Amino acid sequence: MKKSLVLSLSLFTVLGLAACGTENSGSNENGSASGSSGQENWTPQQSLEIVAPSGAGGGWDTTARMAAEGFESEGIIDKGIGVVNKEGGGGAIGWSYIAEKAGNPHHMFVSSPPLLLVPLNGQSQYGFEDFTPIANMISDYGAFAVRDDAKWDNLNELFDDMKDNPEDITVIGESSPGSMDHIQFVKIAKAAGVDPQSIKYVSAQDGSTMTNLLNGNADVYSSGVTETIEQVRAEEIRVLGVTAEERLEGDVVSEFPTAKEQGIDETFVNWRGFFGPPDMTEAQISYYEEKFKALSESEHWADTREKFAWNEMYMDSGEYTQFLKEEKESMQQLLNELNISGG
Amino acid sequence: MGSLEGILSGVQLAFSFQGLLFVFLGVVAGTLIGMMPGLGPISAIAIMIPITYNMDPAVALVLMAGVYYGAVFGGSTSSILLNAPGISGTVATTFDGYPMAQRGEAGKALAIAAISSFVGGTISVILLMLFAPVLSNIAIQFGPAEYFALMVLGLTAISSLADGSTIKALISAVTGIMAVTIGIDSQTGTTRFTFGNPNLLEGIDFLVVALGLFAIAEVCALIINRHESPERNGSIGSLKLTKKDLKDMSGPMGRQSFLGFILGILPGSGATIGSFMGYISEKKIAKNPEEFGKGSVKGVAAPETANNAATSGAFVPLLSLGIPGSGTTAVLLGALLVLDIQPGPLLVQDQPALFWGVIISMYIGNVFLLILNLPLIPYIAKILAIPRPMLISMVIMFSMIGVYAISFNTFDLYLLLIFGAIGYIMRLFKFPAAPFILAFILGGMMEESFRQAMTISNNDITVFVTQPIAMSLLLIALLSFIVPIVQNTRRKKAEQK
Amino acid sequence: MLKPVHRKASLFLIALAVFYLILAYRLESFTAGPIGADTMPKILGWLLILLSVILFFFKDQETEEEKQSRRIAKNDLIKMAGVLLLTFCYIFLLERVGFIVTSFLFIWLCSWFLGYQKHVKNIVTAVLFPVVLYSLFTFMLGIALPSGILPF
Repeated sequence: MKKSLVLSLSLFTVLGLAACGTENSGSNENGSASGSSGQENWTPQQSLEIVAPSGAGGGWDTTARMAAEGFESEGIIDKGIGVVNKEGGGGAIGWSYIAEKAGNPHHMFVSSPPLLLVPLNGQSQYGFEDFTPIANMISDYGAFAVRDDAKWDNLNELFDDMKDNPEDITVIGESSPGSMDHIQFVKIAKAAGVDPQSIKYVSAQDGSTMTNLLNGNADVYSSGVTETIEQVRAEEIRVLGVTAEERLEGDVVSEFPTAKEQGIDETFVNWRGFFGPPDMTEAQISYYEEKFKALSESEHWADTREKFAWNEMYMDSGEYTQFLKEEKESMQQLLNELNISGG
Repeated sequence: MGSLEGILSGVQLAFSFQGLLFVFLGVVAGTLIGMMPGLGPISAIAIMIPITYNMDPAVALVLMAGVYYGAVFGGSTSSILLNAPGISGTVATTFDGYPMAQRGEAGKALAIAAISSFVGGTISVILLMLFAPVLSNIAIQFGPAEYFALMVLGLTAISSLADGSTIKALISAVTGIMAVTIGIDSQTGTTRFTFGNPNLLEGIDFLVVALGLFAIAEVCALIINRHESPERNGSIGSLKLTKKDLKDMSGPMGRQSFLGFILGILPGSGATIGSFMGYISEKKIAKNPEEFGKGSVKGVAAPETANNAATSGAFVPLLSLGIPGSGTTAVLLGALLVLDIQPGPLLVQDQPALFWGVIISMYIGNVFLLILNLPLIPYIAKILAIPRPMLISMVIMFSMIGVYAISFNTFDLYLLLIFGAIGYIMRLFKFPAAPFILAFILGGMMEESFRQAMTISNNDITVFVTQPIAMSLLLIALLSFIVPIVQNTRRKKAEQK
Repeated sequence: MLKPVHRKASLFLIALAVFYLILAYRLESFTAGPIGADTMPKILGWLLILLSVILFFFKDQETEEEKQSRRIAKNDLIKMAGVLLLTFCYIFLLERVGFIVTSFLFIWLCSWFLGYQKHVKNIVTAVLFPVVLYSLFTFMLGIALPSGILPF
């Protein structure tokens, strides 16, 4: 009886280790092959993997899947592309997975502002500096909505009221304090002179945000632009301001005023782009830049953007890195003022 | 009136060739996905998004809805046969479904589940048709204070999930809430009890706990009884329901169709809470509550009716208000936006054919599900005829993949083993697992909604008694806590005399 | 005094509660209000202590039969430990070697270890079950399980 256990186990490990060995040597070969194939031209040696650091169905997952689909159906990349979900830690699990793939540029992940916010909140040991920004693809913006019968007609009235009676105004959003929905509101409100710490923010992560705006438990809803459209059409809510630089294009959204045109000189971009593991070579970066640019400029992708109400925002690796540096600084400042950091 | 025309055009859509074909494909795919470890309605819908990309919106919605309730329908199979709930909505089904299968009545249990699912699904669709606009206005009244009250009401049921010692049930529940406090606190962003491990930041997934406490713990027991051959081979797949069974089922099916539907309407509630509340409420009013947990017909019928009714309920706020009430309907909403369908108050007016077409297709889908599933039951039930050693290996792998398919993270697999060990130890020392899992579900929401309500009211605790819905729910909770105690003491006094 | 098993359980639970409370009191809370991230954990910790103390002073109502059910034969214990070890190997190798190979090994070896003697049937099932699951997940549903060393 004992014998069969020992036998089973040893068989299992031997087979397993043997398998491990072959896998490792395999990937090493790939690595060296790609290294020696020259600095100027690099092409993938195996199928590619895009990690969505979240579960199925979210924004990251959709972007990753649509990009993979675009690359394949437009014939931009002829290798197979698999999308893998690595959920957990608000993205941290997926990021550390890619960080371990240093030197194997067949893996990428898709990300957005949480890649800056989560590490700043002390919840991930990896930040964008630990990866290779490849290209940004799309952007999205925040919207601040109130009930249709609310007393405020524009952002300035809301913010003025907030300065006087901060405890009477509840802001609700999907994400936890110190994350996206909270920060985008704080960023604009602060530019209008509201004390960030006085803002009463409630997080509702179970899909009840809109309900709570409509039934009066919350007064302001901080969310993405798309989430508000239908209720605006039904005249249940009004959007007081969006965080974009200029007015958005589209049926209902073009009527949303920006914070900027109301004299509040601040924006918030929900960018979304792709990152590779650390230590990618110039040749590898430029290979991907070219492919992502081709995708971004294709009819197919324009169609996808329209369907999901995304905006075009292509940045190559250099621009992207610079952009991320600046974004990170401004987030850091906001979080410091909110007294949430390093938790 | 325009609505009659709308309904007629909906009938036309639902009975068109395409309509019938896609509702059929939807429920088949949904049942299969629901039976798969770890895949529930959310994944089922997410998987369909790329497939429906270029489809006619109405047909696509018919397909998506079919996949959704099909997945809830199919989820009960592994709960009953393996004690391994594939989705959170079917955990309560294990309480009596598995004991029944153990008794050699697997086919019967599956048949009860299929019939109750059908009844729950159908009655709730009728309710959806009749009351969607009225009820959606009630759903929207639910804010944090009301949720808190609802969760408290749910937690008072813990004592009724105890078989034996109430104190042990309470301890089990408290540790359940402790387990859910692990992770980032949603209201402040503080990390709690994570020991610096990033894998714990988002908390422990419900399915890890459920599969650990139920499936893996059961595996331990199976290992000890591994030599027992499945001698009841002959009767395993028999669907025979006696007249008494049908009579027993009819009460729970009728009541839970309504209760499940209403709980499904409330945002954030859904099939999981619906099935638990269904189970508990039936146990409370049953004449022989001691039969529950030992393979009671009612104990299978109640949660299975309720979870399917809740699924239709979840369509109320989605279709009539455009508000997603749960994670699943949020993903569904996203999928609809891609198809250029804007669910919301204007949907009935703008696209009556689509609105009514989907609802009518849900009737058809439920009939398909029943017709498809009943003949398959004898074959599916044969899983239990697999020799024990093989069955044990397969249950372990099934649970592993179920957990892995949620997060794609092996850390969760180790957690699964830990919860399996906890579950087995709890069994040995006679601590019931059901209160643990119920508290794990309700406790997190209870804390969150309590703190949301307090923040909104600027820490004024009277919000819970000044708002009528919250107050009445708390009152019911109080009564359901006190009444049994009073009854008990009276009974004891009477016995002493 | 510690003879009844529920007293041992009670002491263990008190220890757990104390550990939990120590961590709870070390939580930082950023909110100014009276209810923070640490409020609920503190309540839970104290509640568990209270309940465990009540449990401690309960009468021992365990029947001899129930006590017996806790005694696990040495033979069974070995089997359980073995299955646990195999499961650890499974988790460890899943992403490294891939789903199909690992699952095949697991089902085959685990069933054999638990005393399944029909080797041909065993191997056939151990191959078919993972392959079918893998194809369903990866090819039909687009959910990629780890492919590992196999090329597809």
